Amino acid sequence: MSNAIEIQNFSYRYPDGTSALSDINLAVEHGLRVALIGPNGAGKSTLLLAMAGFIKGAGKVSIDGLEVNRKNLKEVRRRIGCCLENPDDQLFMPTLFDDIAFGPLNLGLSPEQVRGCVAEALATVGLAEMAEKAPHHLSAGQKRGAAVATILAMSPKIITLDEPDGSLDPRHRKNLVRLLAGLSQTLVIATCNMNLAAVVADRVVLMDSGMIIADGDVQKIMSDSKLMAEHGLEVPQKFSDSN
Amino acid sequence: MHHAYIDKFAYQDSPVHRLDSRVKFLVVLVFTAVVISLPRTSVSILFCFAVGPFAILVLGKVPLRFAFKHILLVSPFILVLALTFPFYDRTPVTVAFGPLVWDTTLGWMRCFTILGKFVVTVLALIALVSTTRFSDLLAGLQRLGVPSLLVIQLGFLYRYIFVLIDSAHHILRARAARAIGKPGFNTELKVAGGMLGSLFVRSLDTAEHINVAMHARGFDGNWRTINKLQIRSADYLFALVAAAFIFGLYFFVRPVLQ
Repeated sequence: MSNAIEIQNFSYRYPDGTSALSDINLAVEHGLRVALIGPNGAGKSTLLLAMAGFIKGAGKVSIDGLEVNRKNLKEVRRRIGCCLENPDDQLFMPTLFDDIAFGPLNLGLSPEQVRGCVAEALATVGLAEMAEKAPHHLSAGQKRGAAVATILAMSPKIITLDEPDGSLDPRHRKNLVRLLAGLSQTLVIATCNMNLAAVVADRVVLMDSGMIIADGDVQKIMSDSKLMAEHGLEVPQKFSDSN
Repeated sequence: MHHAYIDKFAYQDSPVHRLDSRVKFLVVLVFTAVVISLPRTSVSILFCFAVGPFAILVLGKVPLRFAFKHILLVSPFILVLALTFPFYDRTPVTVAFGPLVWDTTLGWMRCFTILGKFVVTVLALIALVSTTRFSDLLAGLQRLGVPSLLVIQLGFLYRYIFVLIDSAHHILRARAARAIGKPGFNTELKVAGGMLGSLFVRSLDTAEHINVAMHARGFDGNWRTINKLQIRSADYLFALVAAAFIFGLYFFVRPVLQ
């Protein structure tokens, strides 16, 4: 069986020539929760965009056995759902219902099926009563949940989340952790929050300057204070307490 | 940040709120066309037409203060236009309003007619957006055959205008936090240019991210939505009453008042 995500020798340069990703090799098994950690500008968000085929570089990216290329793009995006960093970019429709229905409708589902998907996704993120609300009437935590719901409604096998806990208070962060822990899909979470990564991830990939520096066990990498400090990161509370 | 949303009363519940957005839109469209087509000196009939939007606002539990505040906000534009009429049309006319009779000029008559038409039609528009959710209005427009590109643009405008206003507020606050003393006009102009540029770049960034979000969810250029609208007997009744009111005033009451 193929891996959920397979990236081989992938490199990408911005149009101005700056190297964003260089020689990335990554294989993620199905059902795994992977945290991409690293300082700002490490290339985490760019790597997530490459997974969904939004940027083209040298090398090969495969999603659930399908190579990411122009021909397979529609099917690739059916299998991988991207949750952007800013929920205001993710929620672009006048109501939450319309926003969550947007993906399933594009997948060609019938109106009844779409209604079912929307209700299920909203219930999963705890926003069942909010379907007819306008996104600008939601709190930051609700927007974050709604952004995840837009992806869940499409039932992708893989979900990528870019800084999912940005601007969340501790209560909403806890809710988010509970939500992510309850998902059965393969998750790739790009985050600068080491505590979130330590709690949610099964595996951690440390990136810096567009390269993968370390890839493996969460505790082994994140409790290595020297490695973490070298890349401008801090040991999460979970591991610093045990040291 | 909290904004004064023009549709903030659209989320209430009342018999008017429950009416189909298409019917309300068409009624307001016809109402506006008829009011605009009234002769330029028909001031008194405008009072009768104003009863319609007032009734909708009262039935929809929309505070009249809210409606008039919004009329005042947009009135300067029309006020400037209307106040030019008395200067170039000084034809003397005699006006009678019940037992009161006085002499004035055609220019003033036209000025008051334009202002009256403006107030009545904007009142109707406020009644529409205050009793109809913007999403329903957009869905209604789409079902009525308005080009989907226009409907999408309106939807994005409504969704992101507040995000843009927030960005502008943040930039202004950042500028105020660092502005010491009173800069000269040229410096102010330079700063304003920089702020506008920054806002423009942010808008472009947002547009790019939205594009990614749309394509990530399978957007292929075709705009698909679910029809949640349904025309019921109450909508037919409303359309009938509105038609009787509008055309009754136009064909039967107006000739009597003139």
